[in-house]
Amino acid sequence: MPEPHSDPARIVLAGLVKRYHNRPVLDHLSLSLEGGQFCILVGANGAGKTTLLRILATLTRPDEGEIQFFGEAWEPFPALREKIGYIGHKPMFYLDLTAAENLHHYARLYHCDDPSEQIQTALHAAGLQNDQHKPVRTFSRGMQQRLSIARALLHEPEILLFDEPYTGLDQPAAQTLDRRLRDLRSPKRIILMSAHRPQRLLTIATHIAWLQNGIISHHLPVAELHTAPALQDYLQETA
Amino acid sequence: MKGFTAYLRAIWHVIQKDIRVEWRGRQGVPVMLVFSLLIVFLFNFALQLSPDLQAGLSAGLLWVSLAFASTLGLNRSVSLERENNALDGLLLAPVDRSAIYFGKALSNFAFTFLVALILLPVFSLFYVQNMLKLPLILFILLGVGAYTSLGTLLATLSIQARTRDVLLPILLYPLALPILIAAVEGSRGALIGQPLAELQSWLFLLLASNILFHAAGLMFFETILEE
Repeated sequence: MPEPHSDPARIVLAGLVKRYHNRPVLDHLSLSLEGGQFCILVGANGAGKTTLLRILATLTRPDEGEIQFFGEAWEPFPALREKIGYIGHKPMFYLDLTAAENLHHYARLYHCDDPSEQIQTALHAAGLQNDQHKPVRTFSRGMQQRLSIARALLHEPEILLFDEPYTGLDQPAAQTLDRRLRDLRSPKRIILMSAHRPQRLLTIATHIAWLQNGIISHHLPVAELHTAPALQDYLQETA
Repeated sequence: MKGFTAYLRAIWHVIQKDIRVEWRGRQGVPVMLVFSLLIVFLFNFALQLSPDLQAGLSAGLLWVSLAFASTLGLNRSVSLERENNALDGLLLAPVDRSAIYFGKALSNFAFTFLVALILLPVFSLFYVQNMLKLPLILFILLGVGAYTSLGTLLATLSIQARTRDVLLPILLYPLALPILIAAVEGSRGALIGQPLAELQSWLFLLLASNILFHAAGLMFFETILEE
């Protein structure tokens, strides 16, 4: 089992293929992400955004293609997962346990040095310190989402993967998430976030990638969006 | 050595979490217990047994109760991980995924064994014979261990299936038949006071099943979960 890497965060995907029932969802997809990038992944429903994020989170194995994390060939070793934080469609919590108990469970699995301290910091950042002893079952969707982010950040990952985190959030909860995302940007961190309606993220993100027909057809800085009229049109349509 | 300690610690964290969830929700063991007690009561009234038939039949009844109760527990264990995609949370953790299998298998074992320990005095009362015998407890330990190790693997296999609730018993019961036969025969022998030396073939079969299914979990758990 390799030791954790000290290289800067970097993800390189080349010729990635993933098929479901013999239908390619990802069809020789290539993409390169560097530390400091906050990349929005856009695409129609069923385009393969979730599949791509799950592959990067080591939850799904690709059928073909090369993946490099930190300059080394991808293998879903436990040490690699220590560098990844993933927030999926569902919050991944045990509803009968309290917020603090759920985080304790994950902190222990992630070998956190000082779980109690880290959990309190995470709960504070999520604005949930007053609700930490309530069962997650009683939490609203927004609170569960904030707790999910706290869980994903417990081990201070360098790669953060978000799958449609705004789904089901009301306006105040979405604004809280906007602020949180701004705080999470860091030169050492890669953030890749799928979003069905990405307009609100254009002021936060640094890059945008368009997944269509199984490949990344566009990947460019948000500041250069004007050079890609087709992508601009797509963003207008989804607004 | 450090890696192995971390591995054991990961197993323990999964067991701890399952016990805590069970303690909070109380949705697994109580249901298993009510179901198995119901079987004991019903069969006691339905079958008016002569004392010489009791040993043979009570071993069978004990294992029918335990097998069905354990299947309920396995279904609950799977639904717990499916709810809110909690299983993904476990799979994302930087631990060897076979540690998750052993954690789940051991907590399923602990819950079923707890039900068995409560069931034994009730059996003793209804079937007028001492069921609290060490050889019997040994067969229960090995039988439940083999059954839950296989069951945990198959429950994981069925987790993605739409028909998972019926799929688990359909897969589990035929494959667990050798375990159940060995457990019933061994338990019957233990109840009528046969020495362990005469029951060692059943004992070895259960031991081998434990080794086989735990090894299968170690080797295939990650593959089963891969999409």
